[in-house]
Amino acid sequence: MGGALLGRDALRGAAARPSAGGHVHTAGGFGPVGTVDHARNGFHPLDLLTDFDAGEVSKDASGRTVHSYTFTTVDREIEVAPGVFFPAWTYNRRVPGPTIRVTEGDRVRIDLVNASSHPHTLHFHGIHSAAMDGVPGAGEVGPGETFTYDFIAEPFGTHLYHCHSAPLVQHIHRGLYGAFIVDPPGGRPEANEMVMVLNGFDTNFDGENEVYAVNTVAFAYMNEPVVIEAGALQRVHVINVTEFDPVNSIHLHANFFDLYRTGTSLTPHELTDTVTMGQAERHMLEFTYRERGRFMFHAHQTEFVDLGWMSFFEVV
Amino acid sequence: MSARVRTDARLPLWLAGISPLVAVAALLVVFFTLDPIASLREVPPTEAIAVERTKFRPGEIELRLRNDGPDRVTVAQVLVNDAYWQSEMGDRTLDRLEARTLTVTYPWQEGLPVEVVLLTATGTTIVHEVEVATLTPEPDRRTVVVYALLGLYMGVAPVAIGLLWFGTIRRVSARSLGFFLAFTVGLLTFLLVDTVEEGVELAGRTAVSFDGLALFAIGALGAAIALSAIESSSGQTRSHGLVAAYLVAIGVGLHNLGEGLAVGSAIAVGELALGRTLVVGFALHNTTEGLAIVSPLGTIGLPRLWHLAALGAIAGAPTIVGAWVGGFVFHAAWATLAFGVAAGAIAQVIWTVAGTLPDRRALIRGLGGVGFMLGLGFMYATGLLTP
Repeated sequence: MGGALLGRDALRGAAARPSAGGHVHTAGGFGPVGTVDHARNGFHPLDLLTDFDAGEVSKDASGRTVHSYTFTTVDREIEVAPGVFFPAWTYNRRVPGPTIRVTEGDRVRIDLVNASSHPHTLHFHGIHSAAMDGVPGAGEVGPGETFTYDFIAEPFGTHLYHCHSAPLVQHIHRGLYGAFIVDPPGGRPEANEMVMVLNGFDTNFDGENEVYAVNTVAFAYMNEPVVIEAGALQRVHVINVTEFDPVNSIHLHANFFDLYRTGTSLTPHELTDTVTMGQAERHMLEFTYRERGRFMFHAHQTEFVDLGWMSFFEVV
Repeated sequence: MSARVRTDARLPLWLAGISPLVAVAALLVVFFTLDPIASLREVPPTEAIAVERTKFRPGEIELRLRNDGPDRVTVAQVLVNDAYWQSEMGDRTLDRLEARTLTVTYPWQEGLPVEVVLLTATGTTIVHEVEVATLTPEPDRRTVVVYALLGLYMGVAPVAIGLLWFGTIRRVSARSLGFFLAFTVGLLTFLLVDTVEEGVELAGRTAVSFDGLALFAIGALGAAIALSAIESSSGQTRSHGLVAAYLVAIGVGLHNLGEGLAVGSAIAVGELALGRTLVVGFALHNTTEGLAIVSPLGTIGLPRLWHLAALGAIAGAPTIVGAWVGGFVFHAAWATLAFGVAAGAIAQVIWTVAGTLPDRRALIRGLGGVGFMLGLGFMYATGLLTP
């Protein structure tokens, strides 16, 4: 599918890079015009892959490890496709928000500071008390207010957090979500770990996405492939937060991956090359490329591919 | 009181005339400097783009875009059939009313629909749908000749054939002539309704900023005034029949310009079947127009042959021009203006032809009334042949 669809220029990848200071004019074909100014966005999709945040680490009175964070909600414009700006609602000025990385049994303390113009919450997919659920009536903060979430991280796995204020569609779709990775107490085998949040943006607010992406920026890993090493184990936490569409998916080219559903097991559930997820479904993928080369990975809803969810691994 | 009158008198006339204009300019400068509206809140921009023309070339779609909204707009990305595609536009930002050409590299398929979505910098989408993609004819020798032939088949030849009724008109009695004139008025009335309808529809396709209805009205009133001036400057009664015939020819010619536009643009966007049907319908329709032109000649003697040739050319040839324009350089705003001109001309001509009747009441009485209704009905019937 991909090769015929992409045409010669997009396959070269670099052909779609910008020339200095101007718009990209390739010989023509599939793909966007120009590239996103990541510096202006304040985050780079390649960095988001591996930007695990353990917070400020300390011990409480009982000797338990505590991870402390401050999340500030900020309304700001972000460039989701080259030249296309979206009025996002963010945790700490980025979409997705910071990737929380802790170990099962650790204590997580997050000060949620609302510097935006709407009420917000932090709702974690995990096991916690009702008071810490992050829904209207339990942890919701109005503009200018602060609330401290405090809970023990469990169970281990690939999880997520998101805002749960009403209207829910708006609060999630605008960008208030992120990865919540809880490691098993004994850890996992050494691997190159990455987080991929599958998201979309309805830029004209008509209830359909104009942009699909991994980690927010359409075609980001098509223009700049993700560089990985041949022979090295890759571990990818894939989290679907796509709004408006019932499912999203990930398909790996020329390879198969071990699928750990929700990342809650130490042994794989399945060997496959495609997995489909509803919203908030997430999985842990492990794979190794034997050979060097450029390999696609993308949604197997091909409409999403055409609208931005197209990526490459550059295996070196 | 009298002192004020004297003060006014001392101002030079030109200064007195332009001083309100200077004052209103100053007012606007103050308004834009202070900009009281901006203080209300940050208003999101209103973005609108009119696609004025679509061309399909092998592997390429070309759109003529005009900023049709109050605010500046940037075309950040182009989606064709729900996929991002490379496009070329030079500066991608359009100021108000500014127009530029966007070229999209896309392997479009003949005969299939295409949807082009312009995604602006603010994430707004402007959707342009093409029902059937087909290669756009370029004005080379072959297509120019083909379009001219179309105009010949549907405009020039039928009108010329209709002029042959001149022989009949010359020999009929004054009473029967009244019938034919009333028939002509009915026929022209139908054309007027038809032209207004088409023009108003076109006005709706014109960029909002151009205010299509105003263009139509300006064209119509301008044409009516111009034709009235022609008529009154040549107003001797003896040749009135000939003048009336020329005016009818002008009105019919302008109407046929519109018909040419319709056929040319239908074929240019690939609606070949529609184009064919239009040609057949217009041909029958236009033969009757020949009769309309010669009817006023019944009141005078035999005109010179070149008059007949000129009348035929004036009424028929614009069809060819219309087909060229419609096929190669169609522009909704200009076309709306042209339809306005045609409507105004026809309205004025109706008035003129009715004036050649001994009594305008003859239009609604007896044989005249029958002729008038037959004129309307005949055009309606031949109009059924065109969709």
